[in-house]
Amino acid sequence: MTRLLDQPDILAALPHVGRGLIDAIERARLVGRGGASFPVATKWRAVEQRSHGRAVVVVNGAEGEPQSKKDRLLMTTRPHLVLDGAFIAARVLRARRVILYIGERHSAARDSMLRALGQRSEPERNIVTFAAAPARYVAGAEAAVIHFLNDGVATPVNIPPYPFEGGVEDAPTLVQNVETLALVAILARTGEAPNGALITLVGGVTRPGVLEVESHTTITEAINRSGGLTEAARAVLVGGYFGSWMRPDDAWAMRLDPSVSRLGCGVIGVLPSSRCPVCEVAAIMRYLAAESSAQCGPCFFGLRALADACTRIAGQGSNPEVLQRLQRWSAEVRGRGACKHPDGAVMFFSSAIQVFGDEFASHRPHSRSEQVRLSA
Amino acid sequence: MSNSVLWYTTRGAGAVTLILLTAVVVLGVLSALRVQSESWPRFLTTGLHRNLALMTLVFLALHIVTAVVDPFTNLGWAAAVIPFSSYYRTFWLGLGVISFELLVAIVVTSLVRGMLGHRAWRAIHWLTYAAWPIGVVHGLGTGTDAWSAWMLAITAACVAAVGMAVALRLNAGSTDPLAAARGAFRSDVDRREAR
Repeated sequence: MTRLLDQPDILAALPHVGRGLIDAIERARLVGRGGASFPVATKWRAVEQRSHGRAVVVVNGAEGEPQSKKDRLLMTTRPHLVLDGAFIAARVLRARRVILYIGERHSAARDSMLRALGQRSEPERNIVTFAAAPARYVAGAEAAVIHFLNDGVATPVNIPPYPFEGGVEDAPTLVQNVETLALVAILARTGEAPNGALITLVGGVTRPGVLEVESHTTITEAINRSGGLTEAARAVLVGGYFGSWMRPDDAWAMRLDPSVSRLGCGVIGVLPSSRCPVCEVAAIMRYLAAESSAQCGPCFFGLRALADACTRIAGQGSNPEVLQRLQRWSAEVRGRGACKHPDGAVMFFSSAIQVFGDEFASHRPHSRSEQVRLSA
Repeated sequence: MSNSVLWYTTRGAGAVTLILLTAVVVLGVLSALRVQSESWPRFLTTGLHRNLALMTLVFLALHIVTAVVDPFTNLGWAAAVIPFSSYYRTFWLGLGVISFELLVAIVVTSLVRGMLGHRAWRAIHWLTYAAWPIGVVHGLGTGTDAWSAWMLAITAACVAAVGMAVALRLNAGSTDPLAAARGAFRSDVDRREAR
């Protein structure tokens, strides 16, 4: 069984690769690990067909998801593996440029990647440039990445044109998450891709952090490897802030197989039963509303209205009228933005209403002493 | 189908179109006015505006199709699409055709706004301020019921509603919270200087 974090980070000649690698990627059923779980082979083929030596490869290490740490860990500890993946992509897609797009606050990751780049051959170094990604949630979204690299402003723009048609400087562009590129590098070298994923385990576990799981690993096993639960769990958030809440009994046996389950960016959050779900959901909705780039009215006003209503329930207690509005509004917001930000936020919220329906219906404001305990 | 049914449908659909279109225009102006409350957040106004606009087109299509297929009028399809080509009330009917075609342009560009870009979409959307009055004048000029008391009351109410909304719009300040938030967000993710 090949594992990503078992690979040594060494500088060695790249394997000979060509278009055949795309078929191998397809057979391995690799999906993107940035959050959207898009099939990698489809993306590569679309760029390869249009490249004619002009394509651009963007190494996406923006990692804007607040709870995720896995991309940073990978760039910090396995920079050559990520660069291998990038240069392999450049060869297969006959690209003329590689751009490292790394979160501006991820300084250890950036330093490590740039140090590793300095050790590469001159022809490799010559095609690489570096860009620091603004530390906002939408800055890692494909369309925002391209807007940033073209115009210096990291807001999503309208699609089409798709990146594979006209991305950076209007050339066919591949924007690929760093973990995905590392997986491709291992596949190209060993003929086998790790079939697991890097996940970030957060919340009520004894040792939160990044770990690598296999496709047959269940959430329970992953938690046990991290020292177990700190206390009984109320719910599990699978896939970060664009993911879904699950009841513990549904979540425990779930396999962390990225080609089957929608793991999103790989964040698994355990909500301990001592925390208040309503207040947690309200806080995350406020965050997502504030991360709207305010380009589309339904996203900016819709998410703000949802967050305000959640906050009202959290602060003043449940109210059937507000609850009903919340459900109606969330249906109104979906699909009405130029990017997927409102859809992701609404998906998160709908799962919260399903799993925490009772709490939302019977929530009472917390006393001051309770608030102190909850915020601890 | 008896001819009179078609004829009554034409007239009825015309009146309904006027009412719906007026509601769409008022909602559009109100959304620009940023009218909202706790139970009615602003994004619902635009949603209703869009859905009513699509419904308006349905009634407008009914209005046009029943007029054309009515053997009594014998208008022909050309009269429905080429302004001022109708033998019958050439001028007033021509106004209706122009209003209809402007509305189609406004709706189609809204449906493909993503491909068009905001500025071009907005420029075309401003044509509403031409399409609506031209439609009203078309109704007054050629409407069979135009000068009956009930239709006059409807038309007057529609004109008053749009007039009031536009007056409010003209008096309101130009600070748009969406534009302000967009500007703030953009400046936060703008690194043009640093490059």
